[in-house]
Amino acid sequence: MKLIIGHLYPDLLNLYGDRGNIQCMKKRCEWRGIEAEVREFQLTDQVSFSDLDIVLLGGGSDREQMIVCQKLKEIQKDFRDYVEDYGSVLAVCGGYQLLGHYYDTDDGRMEGLSLVDLYTQQGSPRLISNVVIENESFDGPIVGFENHGGRTYIGENRPFGRVICGYGNNGEDGNEGVLYRNVVGTYLHGPLLPKNPHVCDYLLANALDRKYGTRKLEPLDDRQEWEANRYVAERFAR
Amino acid sequence: MRVRRLLSVWTAKLISTACRMAGKQGVTLAGKVALRIDPAILRDLSAQVRKEIFVVCGTNGKTTTNNLLCAALEAEGGKVVCNHTGSNMLPGVAAAFALAARLNGRIDADYACIEIDEASTVRVFPHFKPDYMVLTNLFRDQLDRYGEIDITMELLDRAMKMAPEMKVIVNADDALSWYLASESGNPCVTYGVPEKTADTPSLNEIREGRFCKRCGERLDYEFYHYSQIGKYRCPNCGFSRPEADFKASGIDMGNGISFTVEGHRLRVGYRGFYNVYNVLAAYSAARLAGVRPRSFDRMLADFNPQNGRMEKFVIEGTEIVLNLAKNPAGFNQNISAVLEDGREKDIIIVINDNAQDGLDISWLWDVDFDRLREESVRSITVSGIRCQDMRLRMKYVDIPSELIQDVETAIKARLKDGCGNLYVLVNYTALYSTRGILARLEKADGKGLKKSR
Repeated sequence: MKLIIGHLYPDLLNLYGDRGNIQCMKKRCEWRGIEAEVREFQLTDQVSFSDLDIVLLGGGSDREQMIVCQKLKEIQKDFRDYVEDYGSVLAVCGGYQLLGHYYDTDDGRMEGLSLVDLYTQQGSPRLISNVVIENESFDGPIVGFENHGGRTYIGENRPFGRVICGYGNNGEDGNEGVLYRNVVGTYLHGPLLPKNPHVCDYLLANALDRKYGTRKLEPLDDRQEWEANRYVAERFAR
Repeated sequence: MRVRRLLSVWTAKLISTACRMAGKQGVTLAGKVALRIDPAILRDLSAQVRKEIFVVCGTNGKTTTNNLLCAALEAEGGKVVCNHTGSNMLPGVAAAFALAARLNGRIDADYACIEIDEASTVRVFPHFKPDYMVLTNLFRDQLDRYGEIDITMELLDRAMKMAPEMKVIVNADDALSWYLASESGNPCVTYGVPEKTADTPSLNEIREGRFCKRCGERLDYEFYHYSQIGKYRCPNCGFSRPEADFKASGIDMGNGISFTVEGHRLRVGYRGFYNVYNVLAAYSAARLAGVRPRSFDRMLADFNPQNGRMEKFVIEGTEIVLNLAKNPAGFNQNISAVLEDGREKDIIIVINDNAQDGLDISWLWDVDFDRLREESVRSITVSGIRCQDMRLRMKYVDIPSELIQDVETAIKARLKDGCGNLYVLVNYTALYSTRGILARLEKADGKGLKKSR
């Protein structure tokens, strides 16, 4: 079995250790004997969504995000088809904001991909914190770090989790992130996946299911991962 | 308000002494209180500096560059006010002056060398306008404090515009720094390394600013020295690395560092290519203040700042190098410096997440730790508050590490079973405590073998 992971525009969207998410998916495949190929796409490259099993859209600075959002219009249709066809996506921070309809900033509106029904508004101050969230579908807390000026509103969509500690989408409604088909959108970096092996395996299982019709993943020795997870959860979510 | 000034100076000195006796640094507190008592203290004291005031800014290399510059000015007989400890926000800057003042509230100084945290420049410059700013480089660092590198650049830009006559001594090889300085309208002096040096590994590094800040086009690079430091040019608008005023050439990294600038050969017992830039930046600034090249070289030979930047210790026969590494660019350069030492070695990595470190440690994943998969690396020990994250980081490049959360226990373990050559890489708040532990152990060891550099 083989999974192909597409990393969109790492030159521009690579804030906050996003490389760690890629590394984590790759290693957790390899340790199970699943081949994993990472394809990096630059702004000038054609993104062939039909070849991809998982897409990572990371975070960038506002300025860099603006550059990317011009480009995204060109791939919007293919990206949408991929999402509607249950392609796996992990979108973090700026990438998460780009999933929605728009991001209103002081300098004007940044059009998003409209892949998920959500929108973002700039706010002040920046929301910066260690974060712990909960979601019954995930066996164990999800931990990470957030740092964003935007406030995101997900309407009727399912959140990625309920905030136990930190701010989440907007610091108001207690939601963090979004789940839509096989898309995970979140403000959590840290990076997200290494300390949350259950989330990584969720993305991998979804991708395997879509490609090979199986969700079966060999169990790994995740003691170190869970120790690091528990450390954050216990320290910040007493 | 002379009474206020006196009271301010005395209280600062009292607090500093009391804190030192209690084993704490206390510089920040002393500065805070001094400013509270006399808000004009920094303005008044800095105005008494007879010649030039230098400030040093930039993500990495501030402390080393600033201390080198201070030592160079002193080597020519100058009296210098300097924030040696690296306390570089407004209170730390105020404390440097207050603690340097005499009990009569007067300061006897020819120069001031002050490193300032980039975000604090706009808070310090209302108190005094420096004559020179050294701008070393701009990398991602402590993103939770500043938001993003763009925000840091905006703050520095505002600071430069607050002091339009200030000369900016800038690293020509860093596109971000050069863009900032060249667009500021301030007069500029540049330094750089114009030729590609041999065997600097081409890394899969995270590089900032790959896109032209002026027009947004992707920059072309003829070569990189490290991170985004190199020879760049914008194919669209022509923005490019300028010809440097102070050029380092003939760089030799065999045993320490040596290179030629203005026809003079400089030598320093430091490892690490990034130290070429630190020495070159300090040299450029010192030359502008009239320091003679020979005095500078002589100063370098004795330079031992004892501040945890490549600082050496010998304990129970084990040679130990302590070095600060607080962001991806710094850490990658640190790894290069460790690997330049071809001997067997043990490594301890100490990671904290206190406020001054940046609460967010995700940058660990932007460091190329896989390069430590070398035969000469005997063992890696992870320690400090976030040792769990560090162990996980190593696990995901298939390098095993031992977790010992307590730093002293970790050091003692490697003194006992290590190979006698130990590197301790620490981030910011771990530096002071780790340095204290090493100094104490070295003293207790007694035999104390004189430090060889």
